[in-house]
Amino acid sequence: MKKLTGLQKQVLGLYRGFLRAARSKGPEDRKKIESYVSSEFRNNAKNVERKNFIYIEYLLRRGTKQLDQLKTVETVSTFTVPSRSGN
Amino acid sequence: MATISATSVRFGSSLKLSSRTGQVTGRSITSVKFVSVGWAKNGFPSLRSSSFRVSCAAKPETVQKVCEIVRKQLVLSPETELTPESKFSALGADSLDTVEIVMGLEEEFDISVEEDNSQNITTVQEAADLIESIIQKKGEA
Repeated sequence: MKKLTGLQKQVLGLYRGFLRAARSKGPEDRKKIESYVSSEFRNNAKNVERKNFIYIEYLLRRGTKQLDQLKTVETVSTFTVPSRSGN
Repeated sequence: MATISATSVRFGSSLKLSSRTGQVTGRSITSVKFVSVGWAKNGFPSLRSSSFRVSCAAKPETVQKVCEIVRKQLVLSPETELTPESKFSALGADSLDTVEIVMGLEEEFDISVEEDNSQNITTVQEAADLIESIIQKKGEA
């Protein structure tokens, strides 16, 4: 793999965080979370312009918030699909 | 002098073995690969110490397990060839897949991989080596 930029490392770190958090949920929730998170990350990886740092940083912040929420809240229902704006 | 010629004979035979076995099972490949790696990386005179270190690297069971997880994670077809030296990226894995592989390994081996380390893993062999070193450290702690 090529050397990763700081931003890429942050994104991967966030992804790890999500997968970690998903482990603490029940098997069914976990599956749901994992498939949602995975598709979200892959979608953005494909569709977000690589140089659109401001948007990527925004997504990172939003993701971090969602992760915090996921860690504290027992249910998955609060983990709603946000409508994607821009891009 | 006697020892040197003895090792050279062994290497000769194991190298022949690698070409003969081709791609049967992960286990036979890995054991052969260890030998050939040590042979290629290190010069002849230092063979004894180096081959000791190489054989210490990762157990075939670990490599085997890692292979299974990688297969599962990347949804590789059974006929896809997977050797310890296979690069994840060559198998079609992106960085997100690599994260997933490492997470899968963590669960399987009940370990925790540091973030910095996880991004340096590019092959099955590297993963297996890292896992063993972590397990070893855990045992000592």
